[in-house]
Amino acid sequence: MANRHSLTRRQFLRNSALLTGGLALGSVLPRSVWAAGSDTIRVGVIGCGGRGTGAAKNCVDSAPGVEIVALADVFADRLGALKKQFNVPDNRCFVGLDAYKSVLALADVNLVILATPPGFRPIHFAAAVAAGKNVFMEKPVAVCPSGIKMVLEAAQKAAEKKLAVVAGTQRRHQAHYIEAMKRIHDGQIGTLVGAQCYWNQGGLWVKKREPGQSDVEWQLRNWYYFTWLSGDHIVEQHVHNIDVVNWAFNALPDTVHSLGGRQFRTGPEYGHIYDHFGTEFIYPGDVRTLSTCRQIQGADHRVSERIVGTKGVANLDATNASISGEKPWKFEGKETDPYVQEHTDLIASIRSGNPLNEAKTVAESTLCAIMARESAYSMRQFTRNWFMAKCDLNLLPPADLKLTDTKPVAPVPVPGKYQLAGWVSEPPKKKETGKGKGKKK
Amino acid sequence: MSTTTTKTLSAATLLTGAMNRVHAAGSDIIKVGWLGCGGRGKGAIRQCLSADPGIEVIACADLFEHKAMEGREGLLKEPKYKDRVKIKDDHIFHGFDCHEKLAQTECDLIVMATAPAFRGRQMLAALRAPKPKHIFTEKPVATDVAGCRLVLEAAKIAEQKGLAIVAGTQRRHEFSRVELMKRIHAGQIGELVAGQCYWFGSGIWYRADSEGMSELEWQCHNWYHFTWLSGDQIVEQAIHDIDMLNWCFDGPPKKFMAVGGRQCRDYSEQAKQVCRKFNNGSDADWQKYNGNIWDHIFGEMEYPNGARCTAFTGHGPGTNRNGEKIIGTKGASDLHSTITGENPWKYEGPSVNGQEQEHIDMIRSIRAGKPINHGKRIAESTLTAIGLRTAAYTGRTISWDWLLNASKQDLVPPQEKLKPGPGHFEPISTGCDKLI
Repeated sequence: MANRHSLTRRQFLRNSALLTGGLALGSVLPRSVWAAGSDTIRVGVIGCGGRGTGAAKNCVDSAPGVEIVALADVFADRLGALKKQFNVPDNRCFVGLDAYKSVLALADVNLVILATPPGFRPIHFAAAVAAGKNVFMEKPVAVCPSGIKMVLEAAQKAAEKKLAVVAGTQRRHQAHYIEAMKRIHDGQIGTLVGAQCYWNQGGLWVKKREPGQSDVEWQLRNWYYFTWLSGDHIVEQHVHNIDVVNWAFNALPDTVHSLGGRQFRTGPEYGHIYDHFGTEFIYPGDVRTLSTCRQIQGADHRVSERIVGTKGVANLDATNASISGEKPWKFEGKETDPYVQEHTDLIASIRSGNPLNEAKTVAESTLCAIMARESAYSMRQFTRNWFMAKCDLNLLPPADLKLTDTKPVAPVPVPGKYQLAGWVSEPPKKKETGKGKGKKK
Repeated sequence: MSTTTTKTLSAATLLTGAMNRVHAAGSDIIKVGWLGCGGRGKGAIRQCLSADPGIEVIACADLFEHKAMEGREGLLKEPKYKDRVKIKDDHIFHGFDCHEKLAQTECDLIVMATAPAFRGRQMLAALRAPKPKHIFTEKPVATDVAGCRLVLEAAKIAEQKGLAIVAGTQRRHEFSRVELMKRIHAGQIGELVAGQCYWFGSGIWYRADSEGMSELEWQCHNWYHFTWLSGDQIVEQAIHDIDMLNWCFDGPPKKFMAVGGRQCRDYSEQAKQVCRKFNNGSDADWQKYNGNIWDHIFGEMEYPNGARCTAFTGHGPGTNRNGEKIIGTKGASDLHSTITGENPWKYEGPSVNGQEQEHIDMIRSIRAGKPINHGKRIAESTLTAIGLRTAAYTGRTISWDWLLNASKQDLVPPQEKLKPGPGHFEPISTGCDKLI
């Protein structure tokens, strides 16, 4: 199943099954009206795994006049479900590490869904923008600062070309989050003085190495457990919650300090990523916030955000939003499926000629998560300015990567041994003089 | 002393009270028994002697005989203390039961500075002795829930008997922090809504020497590295800062959540050396000698008013962090000497060394016949740190009420099993230990 974690999704569906059902039905009927129209959205899906398959269906359900017309994946076996469901012809199904290029070369494709493992996202996004495609891209959008810089650059180009870019940080499209944020930004909880956000969950899928698999093939199929592909779970998953706090503050943290490790999930099938992180982000004005994320079988779940102001507190999670304090409030409005809504908003923005461009925002939240990961791997506190200026970590896959390549699994990061890219240790402090034994002044 | 306490005064209490009145005259001597003659013990006994000219040390005790002997010798070498060091040969005790022997002496006060695992037993022995003792105890006062309960019991007994319990959380005795806290409690930064505390340092000693020791004795010698002995770093060290937040909120949190692990703590070379010593030259099993404490715990304490506070703790090669911060609706404080916000303030009075002042405050309170009893408070702060550790070790959110009333966590072997012999080893927690 998708790494788009089913817990929240299920909760959502439980709460809004009727609404969603209605929406899906409504969106099916008028599609034929659009099919012949000139503003049909013709979608190419790049990355047809669990999430790509889900996103493609969400996209089709989101508005009339949407068609899935091309598919790309590294592995032929991943294309099957979408190919069958949307009747995509063989000559529009592409396989291999360069398959994305073939989709981007199709002139009739005017929207691409980027849903491969996140390590490839900067390259795919930049290529999609260069090809003039509108983009829906899953979060996170990079795994290293080099990737972030690529995405920020492409974000700028997308704006210049008036291309729409929407990211899979679906909380930004969820009515209860939007309503709560309006109130927070309106000052209803006063000045923000703290926050907490969490993605603590149990275990997750894993794919053991099959006989005959090359290093690269196994790592791609089991991509979650390799930092160059997933960014580690703090980037891959917790970015959602970090993004909400950034949204509430309308700012990015200046400083990060994180602790983390690999305590429970230590088998070789789990690659080299950590299973927990605890992070302090410091926002402008010395506002210190807490974040934790954990993937440990049997441990408690907690996926939520809490924003603390001088006049109240906002509590947010996948299904609810409320404010306590001087101006108490509880969301009681209508909710739609956010995984569909993000596509609805994207397509409406394309058709209206006012394209949304969320690339910078999602790149910034991804950056915060990457900073936290690097801080935990090294146990070092550093500033965002330092990170962007000096950290030259580059995990981008090489252009000549092949499925058959040998790629040893990088060691599990151990603070003290892990080299934080670009970090130069301060010279040891000068020893005080004049206090030594026997020395005369 | 509160009115309720006064009502429960027993005959025994009245007797003790009489003893205190003798001290109150100021001329007489307070006889001290010194328990735990390691590094902190050496500091604490000197700070106690410096606090009042009427202090005399009449006995000392340590697990290791040579440490007790050296403790006395060291004091006798220092001109400012030597005249008040009156430790006779038959008042030097050692062994796992040395606290019991010390409790039988005629001392009035025991300064406790052994590894924290045994504190509850030591306190009860001191309080239940034929001549009950006042207590100065280093922090923390336990390594598990069962130990905290013993200290809570000790606090009650001390109250009934009119005896002092003062703890080595010295920030509570620093003038700047005392003045600061008065203002926070008076609402100068408004309602408390968030806080952080940090104790993240570069590391700790590892004692590989084991000459003449059994395995269990070596473990006690190298106590920091075993959760049952030290409580792990969050309990042993970060308790100082955690206690500051508890002080702000005037009580412990109601809920704990934490993550953590052991990612870089490595003493493999020394651990192998120790392993060979106790295993006929084999170092196959060296990992257990590497210790089972973690190197980082990052936790959240939720206080009764709903405020959630961060605890950032551990040892590692990264950036050192120390200190605290408390945030209210009208301002914030560094919990050291300043308040910012609507009612800014800065402490400008004299500064004192908290580790000396805590003894001065204690001796004064004893002489005044109004002994300070911080037993409950230090047990609560110890249990707070244990709550964070337990949340991290188990991956569970833990409530204060459950921890205090329902947990069966009991890590320290019973007293009768503590004797020179095999060590007591527990595995490193995986982060989802069974909740006990």
